Amino acid sequence: MAAIRFNGVSKVYADGTCAVEALDLEIGEGEFMVFVGPSGCGKTTALRMVAGLEQISGGEILIGERAVNDVSPKDRDIAMVFQNYALYPHMTVAQNLAFGLKLRSLGRAEIDRRVRDAAAALDLQDHLERKPKALSGGQRQRVALGRAIVREPAAFLMDEPLSNLDAALRVQTRAEILGLQKRLGTTTIYVTHDQVEAMTMGDRIAVMRRGVLQQLGTPEELYTRPANTFVATFIGSPAMNVLPAAALGIGPDSLLAGFRPEHVALGPAADGHFSFEATVEVVEYLGDERIAHLRLGERPLVAKLAVEQQLERGSTATFSVAPRSTIFFDARTGAASGAPV
Amino acid sequence: MTSLRIRRGGRAPVPEATQGLVLHSDWQRPSVRWGLGGAQLLLLVLLVVGGLGPILWLAKSAITPTQDTLIKPIAVFPHGVDLSNLSNAWTQVDVGRYLLNTIEIAAGSWLSQIIVSTTGAYALSVLRPKWGSLIMGALLTTLFVPSVVLLVPLYIEVVHPPLIGGSYVNSYWAIWLPAGASAFNVVLMKRFFDNLPREIFEAARIDGAGPLRLFISVVLPMSKPILGVVSIFAVLASWKDFLWPLLVLTDASKQPLSVRLPTIQGQTDLGVFLAAMLIACLVPIVGFLVFQRSFLRGSGLGGALKG
Ligand SMILES: Nc1ncnc2c1ncn2[C@@H]1O[C@H](COP(=O)(O)OP(=O)(O)OP(=O)(O)O)[C@@H](O)[C@H]1O
Ligand SMILES: [Mg+2]
Repeated sequence: MAAIRFNGVSKVYADGTCAVEALDLEIGEGEFMVFVGPSGCGKTTALRMVAGLEQISGGEILIGERAVNDVSPKDRDIAMVFQNYALYPHMTVAQNLAFGLKLRSLGRAEIDRRVRDAAAALDLQDHLERKPKALSGGQRQRVALGRAIVREPAAFLMDEPLSNLDAALRVQTRAEILGLQKRLGTTTIYVTHDQVEAMTMGDRIAVMRRGVLQQLGTPEELYTRPANTFVATFIGSPAMNVLPAAALGIGPDSLLAGFRPEHVALGPAADGHFSFEATVEVVEYLGDERIAHLRLGERPLVAKLAVEQQLERGSTATFSVAPRSTIFFDARTGAASGAPV
Repeated sequence: MTSLRIRRGGRAPVPEATQGLVLHSDWQRPSVRWGLGGAQLLLLVLLVVGGLGPILWLAKSAITPTQDTLIKPIAVFPHGVDLSNLSNAWTQVDVGRYLLNTIEIAAGSWLSQIIVSTTGAYALSVLRPKWGSLIMGALLTTLFVPSVVLLVPLYIEVVHPPLIGGSYVNSYWAIWLPAGASAFNVVLMKRFFDNLPREIFEAARIDGAGPLRLFISVVLPMSKPILGVVSIFAVLASWKDFLWPLLVLTDASKQPLSVRLPTIQGQTDLGVFLAAMLIACLVPIVGFLVFQRSFLRGSGLGGALKG
């Protein structure tokens, strides 16, 4: 177990791509940190720099108290789970799990014990003598996890480990990884582009965009107090509505107003709420709620409504939002700003 | 999806994997069946007569009395079988010793080619030194130099090796060392290593494998198919090489079969000579049949990666 710290870390690839820019970040001991962001934002690059698979162009990465910029991957005491699992195809499951331990010259008995424990934790006991090609996708994924946990490293690095599983298995494995991490208490960096995965798994989440850290915080902080319009619309599904405050009549041109679909109520304004009229374009019925896609002038909006609230397609209705559910952003920079006075 | 399973003619569905280029339904048409079937049969007969025929004739003649072979070369055992040719080949011509020589030469050439090609390709493909692309370019250019051009310089180098002194004439090193210097093998091997998934190497590095361990425990076991191909090429090339061993092995007792047999042809009874030829051919054929399964099957990467 160890804390991991990024001190102004940058990565510029040989072709000039700046994949990570001046990243400052601390991951506490035993913390589950999620890096999230759209494709190509530099999550994998940041993770690979921690693993030592990518040279650090600028700044410093510390694992525990030690700067690891010039430490080789095997001496960093970390274990990585790859998106495509990267199992050794010519070795059985047991050999895959034991490989890293043998190279660290652990005793036979100790290796056997750890392999057995990991296999039991991941429900792989019956497959120990099989080669990876004889396993299902979910089983391979568990072998990849097992290979990380047998090492008992200071930190786990996981790069989209669930993206090759089908939806149901993904939800189940998500819970398993989380349970495992909490039981072992190992510091973990988990990379994903799926904000639901990030919200459900992370102790804290680092949202990245084009190599720049946008916001670092707990899922709740990101959801309720996004630092800018990018985080506001990236976290949460359906995404937050962000419109010019002037279009709603609640502020000057220089501000944007953001409010989440679930904070939109059907009906005229009451006790200090502001209201607007919008056209109903499509209503999605989800069983326990309705997602209404609206149009306010030229701008699309989304409202999450109770199932009892019926809306006609093409009709116009009045909606209201409480001011305390509204977040204001600077129209030029997109950064969160105070409410207009 | 279900349409895949529909077959005309009410036969049991053929699994997709066994379908050839010609669809199962097309085979039902008489014109296709007779035309294509006939062509296949003709090709098969030609291949058997042209490819297998000489070897079978050799096998027959090796155990036929010499007179029969001379008078009726195509007849099958007109005066019975004569196994003494084989034993004479072993005792008079001393085929056993030359066979051992051949095997020793082939084994050494094989080993030197495997060592050079795997380590060279590993360095160029996985370790990637700074000047790697330059070295690769240099290697590629040597592919365009015909080997005949190299004969004389190579011979001079073997007779008077620079720096080391002495001479490699009549030593198997004269064959083993030049055999290793094959750019083609390195290029072939590098192409294969290039296509192995990097993530597996990265996983091994994180697991604690250094360059040597990565090479021995991960890269080589994943490369069995290409090792098989290079091995077969190496052994066959060495087995049938004539000119170079003839030049550098002047001591008759050290020569391989490929050099020895043509030299003794004049003084040897035809039946005995053919028997010796058969022994010389049989070893690589049997070897190939034994090893082809383990060498030439699929790449063995199944299940390593997902997606
Ligand atoms: N080896 C490389 N050479 C040059 N540019 C690279 C290299 N690897 C990645 N990049 C670039 O760096 C940026 C970040 O890539 P990275 O793989 O870290 O993205 P990511 O956030 O993991 O995306 P995804 O969700 O698609 O995996 C991208 O613009 C990518 O094109
Ligand atoms: Mg990635």
